[in-house]
Amino acid sequence: MIQKKICMIGSSGVGKTSLISKFVHSMFSDKYLTTVGVKIDKKTISVDGAEVMLMIWDLEGDDEYQRVQMSYLRGASGYLLVADGTRQITLDQAIEIQGRVTAAVGPVPFLLALNKSDLASQWEIDDSRLDDLTARGWKTFKTSAKEGAGVEEAFVELGRQMIRPH
Amino acid sequence: MADPNRDSQAGAVLDALGLAVFVHASGALRLQGNPPDWLRSVWPTLTESDATLPDSSPFLENFLVDARECWSAGEGQRVRSGPWTEQTADGSEVSLEATALTVGGRPILLLERLGDVFEAKKSMLQKARETVIAYQRLNSETQKKEILLNCISEEMNAALANVITALRLIELERDPARIATLLGLASRATAEQQTLINKVLNVFAAELEGLRGRDGTGTAETKLADAIRSAEQNVASQFAEKGVRLNITGSGLGRIRVAMDAALLTRVLSTLLENGLKSAPAGDEVRLIFGEESGAVLIRVADNGPSFPPDICANLFSRAGTGAPGPQAAQLPLQFCRIAVENCDGEIGYESRKEGGNSFWIMLPALEPTK
Repeated sequence: MIQKKICMIGSSGVGKTSLISKFVHSMFSDKYLTTVGVKIDKKTISVDGAEVMLMIWDLEGDDEYQRVQMSYLRGASGYLLVADGTRQITLDQAIEIQGRVTAAVGPVPFLLALNKSDLASQWEIDDSRLDDLTARGWKTFKTSAKEGAGVEEAFVELGRQMIRPH
Repeated sequence: MADPNRDSQAGAVLDALGLAVFVHASGALRLQGNPPDWLRSVWPTLTESDATLPDSSPFLENFLVDARECWSAGEGQRVRSGPWTEQTADGSEVSLEATALTVGGRPILLLERLGDVFEAKKSMLQKARETVIAYQRLNSETQKKEILLNCISEEMNAALANVITALRLIELERDPARIATLLGLASRATAEQQTLINKVLNVFAAELEGLRGRDGTGTAETKLADAIRSAEQNVASQFAEKGVRLNITGSGLGRIRVAMDAALLTRVLSTLLENGLKSAPAGDEVRLIFGEESGAVLIRVADNGPSFPPDICANLFSRAGTGAPGPQAAQLPLQFCRIAVENCDGEIGYESRKEGGNSFWIMLPALEPTK
């Protein structure tokens, strides 16, 4: 079986832990509980017929209190960059974090997950903004850790990108 | 030669500190001393001294890269892993942190179970991050409202410009038919403006109605003294500027508590005091009188200014609307007061006093005094 390490990266409160919780345990809670440090979960998925065991590193949110420690990304085959679609500032922060990660570990496969898509009335990200990112080669997914929309798809697509020969 | 008693004491101290010590030798990490319970709960094979730390933790495996660098740098170097979470054999979680250092030429790995200090830090981070998120949401909401207000201003300005232009042309016009046309244009522009104002007021009214249910659980509880003190502070500078005194009278202030959210009650009282101040002659006074009446608290704000005309009194607490003359600027805050008070099963009212002046009152359910 192929084993791959992936990291969840993004600002605080964007739903990194909730996405893992939904993806791995099929659970969701509305209550915000901040992650301090690192927690690792595992899940095996099937990607185009191949069994891939994902080692998912849930990293503490990147903010003024704690920066992402780049040493945690050592050996990662990819990462899920997460932003909160109801807080535009978290997308700006995600773009900035992606720059730091690339500078530290080089070009590693990643996807942008715009989470909380169930909160449509509070959505702040214009599609034109996503079009710009797509034009830069970014792959984006609208996800809802609450309802599950796009969650499995995002992880599977990241798995696909990681096992694809470069 | 090692003193067994001293080693045993050192082991007990390390255990009490939630620390486990490993020495790195021949590529393996060997436990020094007896394993603390928490260590065995994570790695059940660590049952005795000299046992080898299994390489089952991906986090530790990653950290050992940094640790080896630290050890090769020699004495005086130290590197910490940062906190991480491991699952124990019974499924619960434990927060750990590793430190690599060199002591007496020996590469050491300390594993620490994070306790109260870590939990306190986590709790502080939780609150800090919640506050940041709330601030970001508020900031975003404010920006949206600023854009909305700008759009409204633009539209109102355009309608007003049409009225002004029409009036100027009427001034110059002699032809009755043309004057009638221009009057029609001005009238339409005025109606447009009025429609716009009503739309804006409807939006605000919807927001005010949104207050319904706030603390609707009946758990809100406010000391009247606190709310009065806050309201007094809110209006103090305005009273000073107009030279108006605020006289507060009543009994039992220290023990009276009402079933209303503190921020809402403060805002209601501040609004009533500001209204009183507007009406009060300069150098005069505004009176805030409170008291208890059969399970309710009555608060009255009175001034000696000119009374409102009867046609205004009828609509004082309703949404400013259809162009009725009067102090409309005061009506929106008064509508807020009505909704806030009624939401708490209270009542609000106005009386023009026989001897002149205005008196606004609110009646709120009283709570049992604290024993």
